[in-house]
Amino acid sequence: MIKSLIITHGNLGHELIQVAEKILEQKLDIQAIAFDWQGDGSDMIAQLEKFIAANKGNKIVIFTDMFGGSPSNIASRFINKNVEVVTGINLPGLLKFFCCEGKSSKFKETVKTVEQGAIEGINIISEYLGEKND
Amino acid sequence: MIEKTQIIINKLGLHARAAAKLSHLANMFNANIYLIYNEDKVNAKSLLGILTLAASVGNEIVLQASGDDEQQAITAISDLFNRKFDEES
Repeated sequence: MIKSLIITHGNLGHELIQVAEKILEQKLDIQAIAFDWQGDGSDMIAQLEKFIAANKGNKIVIFTDMFGGSPSNIASRFINKNVEVVTGINLPGLLKFFCCEGKSSKFKETVKTVEQGAIEGINIISEYLGEKND
Repeated sequence: MIEKTQIIINKLGLHARAAAKLSHLANMFNANIYLIYNEDKVNAKSLLGILTLAASVGNEIVLQASGDDEQQAITAISDLFNRKFDEES
């Protein structure tokens, strides 16, 4: 079982989850944590520790909004064989996770698929259409 | 392998929610199922794959399925298109 968490600046994570749930028409098993702009991150660390402890025995993927940002930097401290962090999560990446998650029993494979989905979701439309028409 | 030509009749075309319903339905079958539009062929079990078609109302796509339940798959998916993905009254 892969458990998931999304940590972002502000309410970006909550909003992403809401939109994904609307599209997939189902409640998603994912929790969001909003980075407190005024805080020093200790609150987020405590929430992360709590989440990881509560999901002991499961694989955990933590999605963050931007590589190098505080949510990513803090989440990175928790990486081990059971915990992975995917930065720059977007709607395609999140949808990919909830569409493929149950199909792959391999943790690393699932995480890689999410990364690819997120990257492939970014296109300059005119270039994309140009390539298709070449 | 069987194929069926299908016209998209819902106003918003193969947008996110429609693609989600379609991929969810396709995943219920064992058959390999593809959507073919112009020269693109995508796996009907992939939500993001379906979205790359950017297919709109009035466009004609081909449903292609191969496997033990291919006929049921094509029938069910065609029905979903014809029901306008249950998003219009």
